Amino acid sequence: MNWIVQNLWLIPALPLLAAGIIALTPQKGRARGAALAIGSMGISFLLSVWAFAHVLAQRSNGELTTQVFNFRWFQFGNEWLLLGWVLNPLTAVMLVMVTFVGLLIFIFSVGYMAHDENFTRFFCFLALFAGAMLGVVISNSLLLLFMCWEIVGLTSYLLISFWYHKPSAAAAGKKAFITTRIGDLPFFLGMVWLYSQTGTLLFYNHGAGCMEPTAITHMLSQATPLGVCAATAIALLIFCGAVGKSGQVPLHVWLPDAMEGPTPVSALIHAATMVAAGVFLVARVYPLMSAHHSIDGMLTTSVALQVVTWIGAITAFFAATIAVAQWDIKRILAYSTVSQLGYMMMGLGVGGVAVGIFHLITHAFFKSLLFLGAGSVIHGCSEEQDIRRMGGLAKYMPVTFAAYAVGMLALCGFPLFSGFWSKDEILHAASTWNISHIPYFLGAAGALLTAFYMSRQVIYVFFGTLRVTPAAHQAVHDAGHSSAHADAHHHGSGVPHESPAVMTVPLLLLSIFAGLLGFVGTAAWPWFQSFLEDAPLKLDFGAFTQGGILTVMLTSSVIVLLGLGLGWWFYGRRPIEGAEAPDNLGRLAPPAFNFLGHAAYVDALYGATFIRLNTLVSRVSDWFDRWVWNGAVKTVTQTVFGFAHLDNFIDTHVVNSGFDEGCEGVSSGGKLLALLQAGRIQGYLKIIAGALVVFTILLLWKARI
Amino acid sequence: MSIIDFGQLLRLLWPEITIILAALLALSVDLVALRHSRLRLRFLAATSIASIGCLIALDELLHTSTQGALLDKILVSTPLTQLVQIALLVIAILTLFLAVDTDFTEHVGEFVLLILLATTGMMFLVVAQDLLVLFLSLELLSLSAYILAGFDKLRPRSSEAALKYFLFGGMSAAFLLFGFSLLYGLANSTNFVEIACAVQGHPFSSILILAIVTTVIGFGFKLAAAPFHFWAPDVYQAAPIPSAAFIASGSKVASFFIFFQLLVLAFAGAEGVASPVHFQSGWVPVLVAVAVVSMILGNLIAITQTSLRRLLAYSAVAHAGYMLLAYVAHSEQSLAALLYYVVTYALATLGIFGILAVTEKQLGNDRIADLAGLNRRAPFLSACLFVFILSLAGIPPLSGFFAKFFLFVSLLTVDPGSKLLLWLIILAIGMSAVSLYYYLRVLKSAFVAEASAEADPIQSTVLMRLLIGILAGGVIVLGCAPELILNQILKVIQASGL
Repeated sequence: MNWIVQNLWLIPALPLLAAGIIALTPQKGRARGAALAIGSMGISFLLSVWAFAHVLAQRSNGELTTQVFNFRWFQFGNEWLLLGWVLNPLTAVMLVMVTFVGLLIFIFSVGYMAHDENFTRFFCFLALFAGAMLGVVISNSLLLLFMCWEIVGLTSYLLISFWYHKPSAAAAGKKAFITTRIGDLPFFLGMVWLYSQTGTLLFYNHGAGCMEPTAITHMLSQATPLGVCAATAIALLIFCGAVGKSGQVPLHVWLPDAMEGPTPVSALIHAATMVAAGVFLVARVYPLMSAHHSIDGMLTTSVALQVVTWIGAITAFFAATIAVAQWDIKRILAYSTVSQLGYMMMGLGVGGVAVGIFHLITHAFFKSLLFLGAGSVIHGCSEEQDIRRMGGLAKYMPVTFAAYAVGMLALCGFPLFSGFWSKDEILHAASTWNISHIPYFLGAAGALLTAFYMSRQVIYVFFGTLRVTPAAHQAVHDAGHSSAHADAHHHGSGVPHESPAVMTVPLLLLSIFAGLLGFVGTAAWPWFQSFLEDAPLKLDFGAFTQGGILTVMLTSSVIVLLGLGLGWWFYGRRPIEGAEAPDNLGRLAPPAFNFLGHAAYVDALYGATFIRLNTLVSRVSDWFDRWVWNGAVKTVTQTVFGFAHLDNFIDTHVVNSGFDEGCEGVSSGGKLLALLQAGRIQGYLKIIAGALVVFTILLLWKARI
Repeated sequence: MSIIDFGQLLRLLWPEITIILAALLALSVDLVALRHSRLRLRFLAATSIASIGCLIALDELLHTSTQGALLDKILVSTPLTQLVQIALLVIAILTLFLAVDTDFTEHVGEFVLLILLATTGMMFLVVAQDLLVLFLSLELLSLSAYILAGFDKLRPRSSEAALKYFLFGGMSAAFLLFGFSLLYGLANSTNFVEIACAVQGHPFSSILILAIVTTVIGFGFKLAAAPFHFWAPDVYQAAPIPSAAFIASGSKVASFFIFFQLLVLAFAGAEGVASPVHFQSGWVPVLVAVAVVSMILGNLIAITQTSLRRLLAYSAVAHAGYMLLAYVAHSEQSLAALLYYVVTYALATLGIFGILAVTEKQLGNDRIADLAGLNRRAPFLSACLFVFILSLAGIPPLSGFFAKFFLFVSLLTVDPGSKLLLWLIILAIGMSAVSLYYYLRVLKSAFVAEASAEADPIQSTVLMRLLIGILAGGVIVLGCAPELILNQILKVIQASGL
């Protein structure tokens, strides 16, 4: 077996090791902390590239591209629990993406977090996160994946509430943790069920894994009381985990709040990698997701994939509408992320692994670019996040603006940018879906909204006049953001400034990829798709004209242009008057805008329903606990105490006095014996003589008998 | 009689010769060159020379694995004897350094000479397989020890203790010699093996029984087993610290070993059975009696002691009682357990004497109550004291626990069904529980009791701290891999073919 396959574990292990070292060394070693994290990530990146090259080589040699390495973890009963890692095209692509984006964001963080007192801790968490995420990517066992998944959740919690002195950050961290945990519970149940059905949690194990035909066929044949086969039920349970992690409706509420974390965290975890873990999970268990009884002659889709598609489509549209009415630069991006994750899910549902993952990869690049750009903007504006108080930044921050523009166009799906190709694939697949066309329409509408809200954001932030007010600026400072930017006064009062090179260089690198990455997966030369799906590859420009691709492409181009145009119509035509001016779109229908501005009141809805229910149940439980269970426990305790007192009495007056007597005896024996030591040598010698006589008589007398 | 091969003799006795040369060198350097130097310098010089001699001898022992008999098997050197000799040399070196920071005498050269002479005596004692050589080397050891005990001429108590020790020792030597003469009469030879042949010929003759009893008395004195222990408390208390430490550690190791050899080799066939039902005369019943008396007497009297040194003396009696159980079992395992036991015991005792050397210098006495607040006044020393005391008490994971454990296990493996052995073990364990009381009293005084207000930190030199630290480390390390060490000893015993 190849070296890189055997030692694939090194890729997650290195950042984990770095995290461990940083955690154990003094907090003062800022440079060492950052160097360790970045260094380990850099080596992991090189190893990932090696792994990627290895898969490529395997492919060109025509060998099997899925290679696994399994090992025994521990034994329970007669069975061994196996863990392992897998190297296949999906793993390789994800590895390269996560390590590369991660590396750039690590470097960006050096600049962004430069003034934070917990700089070292931040890098410890980042490295821990990277290790766990890479673990998710390489693991060949659902259990190992789940463990890494949970570590990812933990680091997400730690990083969202990194500025825990802000109550909102602490609350956001908790919310993220609990919400994703709600999704993890069914995931865990699904995992247990899967184990009971197949007896293994390995994905691939030379025919014996749970994602391989034998196990899938077995699961398909098992009926459940719900009327679906076991395979579908398990797939749906596992999908719940993905819904939680990837912020799909209805568990999307945590993701916008997660923007309380430092911006690099938002970029790395809540845009590029972690939230994509859910999508990745669906892709990883795709054989299970797509398993169904095929009816002769009919092309059908499994129930699980239909659910995935619907959830994805609804999320894509719903989140896009909310994004239209947000004011916080990061919240807009957050809702956009939710929406794009919806696209990915939809892509998986309607088009397969390659379609969904292609969008995941391109999205990772342009979304992290956008977040880092937003970070640069926030950094330059001294922690200001409200787009109404920005404006005209294009001339203060030209590099950031250029990079941001590329990211924005990619996200909108502007022709030839990466997002265009990947989103197009999804829309094309949706347009040919055999169940329903509604997801296609939802997706198209979402694309229109995407172009609209992005142009709104860009115009608000980069065009027009500078609306930042010194007073507001000061207020922001007093509000307690100062710990992160102790030197904000260096920036001058309220004049935005371009970020240092350590921040802009990653931006530029990312923008190159955000712009060009789409060309590896165009319809004419679908290298990416063929790589993932092991299909033959050929360059065929004619492919554009086949199967309605051209129509979809043209349609979506028109949609994007329409969205951009609408954005310009509403916001760009006339300069925005001031920070307090109402939104131009909002003027048309204030109640609707308000509704969307409050994120469709989903949080309030949950608060009024689930949380109220939860509070009620907890009150009832509390009452039971206090009066029923506690009463029972108290009764038992009192009985025990009674016995204890009785016991104590017996001990003191019966047993102990006996023991005391014994001890007294021992002690006085010692005193008596000490009298032997009279100090006179004659006496001692007499005792020896006595001993001689006694022993001799004893032996002689007994010897006679 | 065969022709004596002096070349071989020289080679085999090279370690002993080295030690004697070192002793003479230390004496002459001290007397000639350092007469008027500071006491500590003189001690340092003399102990350094002596230690170098011991180290050379040690090196010699480590690198020659000669297994040879000399002069018609009068001296027999085996890997086992070499192992014991190595242990003795290590203990001698540690004892020598214990003396560096004391000021009980101005006769430094003589003191070191005596320690080394005693060591030479022990080295011969270990390889002796002949009654005469055994007696001679035992006397060399004993006579050196008498003088060492009374070395502090200025203290009347020291002289008194030395005199008692001498009288007592002389008496028991007389007993021993009497017994040996009876044995010679029986076997017409002084060689162990030939005596064994004769003993098997007359298993229950009254002469043999008398010889057994007198031999046990003679060695009982050296081992400080009850009721032959009366010298011990006085000597432990009044002798200068290094002398007391030497008598309590090195001398014990050698005596326990050679007594075992003597009984097993020369008195083979006269073991007897101690069980009241199938009683048979022999040395086992006598030793059972001595062991029981020692365990009970030593532990009980130790309870009432207020002086740490006297407490150590009585605990030594108790430990001798435990160790005598190994004789009752007289198997290879029990010998291995005995050696492990006696070495760990010697280390812990040396350590406590080392601590006493420091504290007595400042406190002026060895009262247990005066150790109050030691953990504040000398944290390192009290930590070491903790280790030593708990090891003596047999608390896991210190080596003292494993020593007791292996000893008892070796007893049980000899004759699993024997009720007598079981009762002996139960008694030993019960007495260990009693011993915990007085051991913990020492620790209570050091750790719990408050020091008086004017108590100042106890000063100790780096050398002493290092020495005590090494001893504590030894006690801990020996307890870390007890099985390994015991198996090594067992392997050596098997290789020596006892």
